[in-house]
Amino acid sequence: MSDVFRIQATPPSPELWAPGRGEANLIDVATFGFWLYMLSDTLVFAALFAAYGVLDHRFNAAGGPTSHEIVHPLAAFWQTLIVLSSAFAYGMAMVGIRARSRLRCVVGLAGSAALGAVFIALENIHLAALVAQGNAPERSGYLSAFFILMAVHNLHLAFGVLWMLVMIVQVSTQGFTTGTVIRLLNLRFYWMFQTSIWVCIFVFVYLRGGA
Amino acid sequence: MTDPLLHSEVRASSAVAFAIGYVISVALMVAALVVTMRHALGRIDLVVVTSLLALLTLITQAVFMFRLNLSQSDRWKVVSLVLALPLFVLMLGLTGWMFHTLYLRTMLPGTMGH
Repeated sequence: MSDVFRIQATPPSPELWAPGRGEANLIDVATFGFWLYMLSDTLVFAALFAAYGVLDHRFNAAGGPTSHEIVHPLAAFWQTLIVLSSAFAYGMAMVGIRARSRLRCVVGLAGSAALGAVFIALENIHLAALVAQGNAPERSGYLSAFFILMAVHNLHLAFGVLWMLVMIVQVSTQGFTTGTVIRLLNLRFYWMFQTSIWVCIFVFVYLRGGA
Repeated sequence: MTDPLLHSEVRASSAVAFAIGYVISVALMVAALVVTMRHALGRIDLVVVTSLLALLTLITQAVFMFRLNLSQSDRWKVVSLVLALPLFVLMLGLTGWMFHTLYLRTMLPGTMGH
């Protein structure tokens, strides 16, 4: 009886949490855990997109502006270019890590963080201009949904830039230890997820609104 | 302790793949912008075309930027992503459908024909 179970419990190839295979690879476990967190984080964005899609309606504008009047596809396109370039710069940092070059890693991270900061500044200028025109979040249900979606995305980017600055310091001082490599891999997921979220915002908020 | 830089996710980083992903993503986004700015399509067609372009961009990101694959270390990420997709579809689809019919049924002023 127990022999049968033992045979069945042995997979043909080593799995992430196969029993009796010794300890799982720490990097595998850490990045998988963070990946699950990112999926749950994406659900938060799905909820915000659902709320935005529902409130992007003349009735919810309460006499205020609708998406057609506050979004500008061309301006958002430059932000799209910046955020895609930032993800590419992070990719170059990853290539630097693979080549065991601290310098290339730090330069890639710095470029990515700088582009991220430019993006955040452009987005904040746009939001501040809307508030200055009297189109603050409390103006209507539509504007509330628009602002919260933008603010949550912007906040994610701000924390990403902060994380990159921390990693620049850690890579410079500690080099490529298991700990720093796990954090760099997780930050890659985090940053590229924000890029994918912005692609959705660009298409479903800016292009749909500007059509 | 094994060398962390020998891990498959580090080894999967390739300048060529990132460059391909970047160029394709930018091209798809330019296409989406051009289609929108030229006002050549009807509203429904435009939503369908730009949504497809967005989907292609996301797939490009998954393949060339996230470097998702079915290797030993990445398999569970793909599995969990595939299992999470129905949640996104349910959340967005059901909410949209629910409120669409709600707007029609309540016949709020100014909502007809939207």
